[in-house]
Amino acid sequence: MWDIILQASNNILFDPNTLLLMGIGVIAGLLTGAIPGFTIAMGVVLTLPFTFGMSATQGVATMIGVFVGGLSGGLMSGMLTGIPGTPSSVATTFDGFPMARNGKPGLALGLGVWSSFFGGIISAILLVALAPQLAVLGLEFGPWDYFSLILFSLTITASLSGKALLKGMIAGILGLFFATAGEDPINGMARFDFGWDPLLQGFAFLPVLIGLFAFSQLLSDIEDSKQARRPLLEKSMSAARIEHRQAIKMIFARWGNLIRSSLIGVFTGVLPAAGSSISNILAYDQAKKAAPDDNTFGSGDPDGIIAPEAANNATAGGSLITMMALGIPGDVVTAVMIGALMIHDIVPGPSFISDQPVLAYSVFIAFFLAHFMMVGTQALTLRLFLFATRSPMYILAAIILAYCSIGVFSLHNVQFDMWVMLGFGVVGYTLRKLGFPLAPMILGVVLGQIAELNLSRALSISDDMTLFLSRPWSLFFLILAIFSFSFPWYQEAIKLKRQWASYFIPFAMTGLALPLFLMQGSIRPILAVGLIFAALFIFWKTWKKNKLEKIRSKKDKNLNEKKT
Amino acid sequence: MIRARQDLCVAIFLLMFCSVMLWASYDIRDLGYPGLKPETWPRFLLILLSGLSALYLIRSLKSLKNPEAPSEDAAAHLGFWSKYKNAVWCFALFFLFLFSLDYIGMLIGGMLFVFSQLTVLGEFTRKNIILHSIVAIISVGLMWLIFTYSLRVHLPAGEIFAAWQV
Repeated sequence: MWDIILQASNNILFDPNTLLLMGIGVIAGLLTGAIPGFTIAMGVVLTLPFTFGMSATQGVATMIGVFVGGLSGGLMSGMLTGIPGTPSSVATTFDGFPMARNGKPGLALGLGVWSSFFGGIISAILLVALAPQLAVLGLEFGPWDYFSLILFSLTITASLSGKALLKGMIAGILGLFFATAGEDPINGMARFDFGWDPLLQGFAFLPVLIGLFAFSQLLSDIEDSKQARRPLLEKSMSAARIEHRQAIKMIFARWGNLIRSSLIGVFTGVLPAAGSSISNILAYDQAKKAAPDDNTFGSGDPDGIIAPEAANNATAGGSLITMMALGIPGDVVTAVMIGALMIHDIVPGPSFISDQPVLAYSVFIAFFLAHFMMVGTQALTLRLFLFATRSPMYILAAIILAYCSIGVFSLHNVQFDMWVMLGFGVVGYTLRKLGFPLAPMILGVVLGQIAELNLSRALSISDDMTLFLSRPWSLFFLILAIFSFSFPWYQEAIKLKRQWASYFIPFAMTGLALPLFLMQGSIRPILAVGLIFAALFIFWKTWKKNKLEKIRSKKDKNLNEKKT
Repeated sequence: MIRARQDLCVAIFLLMFCSVMLWASYDIRDLGYPGLKPETWPRFLLILLSGLSALYLIRSLKSLKNPEAPSEDAAAHLGFWSKYKNAVWCFALFFLFLFSLDYIGMLIGGMLFVFSQLTVLGEFTRKNIILHSIVAIISVGLMWLIFTYSLRVHLPAGEIFAAWQV
């Protein structure tokens, strides 16, 4: 164990190259996150071509640097201009911008930076503690269970598309379908190559991803010529001196909010496809509800900065837990990381931590270190950010497009990949304009082959399809998939105050208790009993509440009738 | 209304795509090994996609019949050329860049691509042309140097350069 930690430390902490690459990654991430229009996922996607020439450890460490930097970078533009740099810092602007405008930009930035730091460190501790445990659970998974888990990931991604559930599902299946082109992974038979040799290799992951995501995003950013020709941020800004000491004191005085928000972030990150864009708003909302006086929210309340910033950085740790323990991407960023590991012939999955312990521990160390680097480079990046925002978007877009094409070519040294990037750029842009969410499609492309391989393995072992329902873990994920699939209707029903919506959660809990009962050992059946009791309690409470409401409405009706 | 029409067109396109791909899936050879056949998984996905596309078609037909239904972002889809001009230019220039890559190589092709894109997207003034040339030469030149000498990637040199090298 100590050998592994020492080796991992050697790879990260005592390797000047890795430290330098990580430092550059953190600064690049901070800038990407800070510039409105660029997303963290785009930053990580654009880093990917540089990682081909690196070792797997260096590549993943650099991408973690970009990831952590990106999550923290969004607060800069959000606080100084009121325009969030990334969707993950939307809620930060609610109180960060007013506080900066009230003459405390240094304190606002300090609170944001240190909340990000502490949120990230809490999630890093949870990552180290939970990922190996979850991976041990993952080792119990057979191909049936793994296939059902992928199905669950895709349904939850589609269900997070909100009103565009159908479009999200179509996008997800399109992603899965695109992954089938080329030789099939089991027998090596050609599929959908139409007699054209380049198609026999299928679509490489990186050109598809850059085309779908970066290409289409850049084109959306330059749609409006006038907007594209203006400097990125026209509002005047000055680099404020970050007030570290006061910010740390204020955060420690609000430790409850910090821990709650970090836990919300980790939990959101663990869920496949639910990223920091959701967690920051959830944490802000909870902080507001928990505050004794929520009237100060929106006018520069420190809690309103601590909650979203701690949550969005903590989400990174959560999504790394799912990636490392199960091989399932928590969001687009971890999907790219899985792609990067695959390029180095490493397939993340339940056996990842046991098969590649040095790499796994290097990830843990890199994740911790990236947060320290983020704090250390904030002041420098703030100045770089002010410089970068003076250039117009169209210049950045043209340079990045050229860079994308060189990066994509360097993957296999074939021009076909560049054509694939162009093709998927057109597809991504069109789908974006037609209101299709791209995240399910990207996850579909990443998970497509893994899903097919596991289905094939399952059917090779036994052609009995009922195993998908009779194996506890498979049943567990299928039930989760059903409930996540119906989640948008549940949300709609809550808004419309439909009675069945109040029974949704207890039903889900009871449903999940069934596979837990079937599992081995004593802890999980006990958990199942606990779930059933909790469900019964909620059910009884809801039923009582509904009954009381009925009686009340009846009384009101009778009173009205008497009056008339 | 406009979005509903667009949805209808997309649904029809998706159904046509599924039909073509389903037909193409019959060209996949089956070696007769036990387990999952090579065509089963893609065919399953296509059937699922067809079903969802049919549902999408029905929905868009319904919203077409109901003109009072909220038309999300309809105004944003008016005036195709004025709205998507820049995107179309980018795609066209990128296409030309890829097409000419074998002849003029990545270095010159990349510089020309960046320069032409900057000139199309930015304003066409003498000052801008100088600025765009400098940006194109420095940015692509730097990338070319990093990828060629630091990452040791053999970027396409182009037939013109190859002839010159000989």
